[in-house]
Amino acid sequence: MVQQGDEDNFRSQVEDRLDHLFEEDAPEAVEEQGGMVEHPLKNLKAALLSIEWEITDSTMDSLLNEIKNVEYVYSEDKIILTFLQLLGSIGRYVKANKGRAHPEATRMINSVYEALEKVALTEGMPRPEKEKKLLEEVGKFKKLKEQVVLRKAEKKEPPVFEVSPAPPVPSPAPTPGRERIPVPEIPAREESQAEPRTEARFAGMSPHEAFAYALEEIKDVIRAEFRALRAEIKLWRESK
Amino acid sequence: MAIINLKKKEVQAKIVYYGPGRGGKTTNLEYIYKKFRSRIQTEMVTIKTHGDRTLFFDFLPIEIGKIKGYDIRIQLYTVPGQVKYESTRRLVLRGADGIVFVADSLAVRRKENLLSLKSLADNLASYKKSILEIPLVFQYNKRDLLEEGIPLLPVEWLEKDLNSKLKAPSFEASALKGPNVVQTMKKIIVLTIESLRKDLT
Repeated sequence: MVQQGDEDNFRSQVEDRLDHLFEEDAPEAVEEQGGMVEHPLKNLKAALLSIEWEITDSTMDSLLNEIKNVEYVYSEDKIILTFLQLLGSIGRYVKANKGRAHPEATRMINSVYEALEKVALTEGMPRPEKEKKLLEEVGKFKKLKEQVVLRKAEKKEPPVFEVSPAPPVPSPAPTPGRERIPVPEIPAREESQAEPRTEARFAGMSPHEAFAYALEEIKDVIRAEFRALRAEIKLWRESK
Repeated sequence: MAIINLKKKEVQAKIVYYGPGRGGKTTNLEYIYKKFRSRIQTEMVTIKTHGDRTLFFDFLPIEIGKIKGYDIRIQLYTVPGQVKYESTRRLVLRGADGIVFVADSLAVRRKENLLSLKSLADNLASYKKSILEIPLVFQYNKRDLLEEGIPLLPVEWLEKDLNSKLKAPSFEASALKGPNVVQTMKKIIVLTIESLRKDLT
């Protein structure tokens, strides 16, 4: 019994200390946003979340399909259609390049989606504000495109894939009184064009070149692992 | 393995957040770090890839203070969740005194949760530790997504899939928004320190 009492006392000491140390204030206000329970973007968001685990043909196909579905729903809303066009372009690029895709590409997908969600779910958002958000994403897209091209040039990578050109940018400032704000024309999607296959990255390379290329990728991973190991050893030494 | 210095009366325990990639392990630590930075008074160390994925681990040391005359220090670690970093996960797990298994509640992650739990059991076994014996807490993360209509695994399924044999304490949580993040951490700290108690007397 005494031992049990000791244990209880010890436990309560630990709990009290933790309660004191991690006493939570009033819960932080959660940003209210329109619900998505029955919203057409629901499945698109689920598809986006699914590519966070691992980028595979299957998850990317599911994302691209969802984009098409939402395009159908919003066929009359050119601003949203342009957002979806951006998502589709980056999605196809990521699908083609997977792990070799520019690291900004996946961040860009999230950024475009977040802006799209805001535009689609915020009731009463003025059109100029929607266009502003779209322009911001188009700007980021163009920057990403430049980075991708630059990286390809630096690495002398084979021309596997080209990021689709950015959709035409809408006029920056809508003229007051104008009845219809011009919205960018969405470039026609090249549906007939076959999706580049993963193996396409080795297309045009001799087996020797392809092997050397794969070897470089493996070396990159090993270098990264070693850097991390060195960091842990350093931390471990410091903690001694 | 905890470092216990009886002479200096210091205890240092290692708690590892384990689970599938993108499940929210790093987000747990980030939440704790951001929320209690002024009280923790330590720095969080994180090593990420360019794509914001954990490459090696995240590390957050916490000074709990004196309990029974011992200075208690807790080190929270995460492992990289991506499948390809199995050897790194095993390395980070070495010497762990307690585990938080952060399961991803997304319906599409059911298989990944199971694989990750199996990998945890295997990796612990490689250090001659049993998943049945080590202090363990389950956290079913991303429950906030239910409000947004995202298909999630029911908690009963998660319990059945992951916790039916282990019978460990579990929490529904949202590492992003905060509910039960702290409770999960408190629980694992209490269980871990309790398990070390016999060495302190």
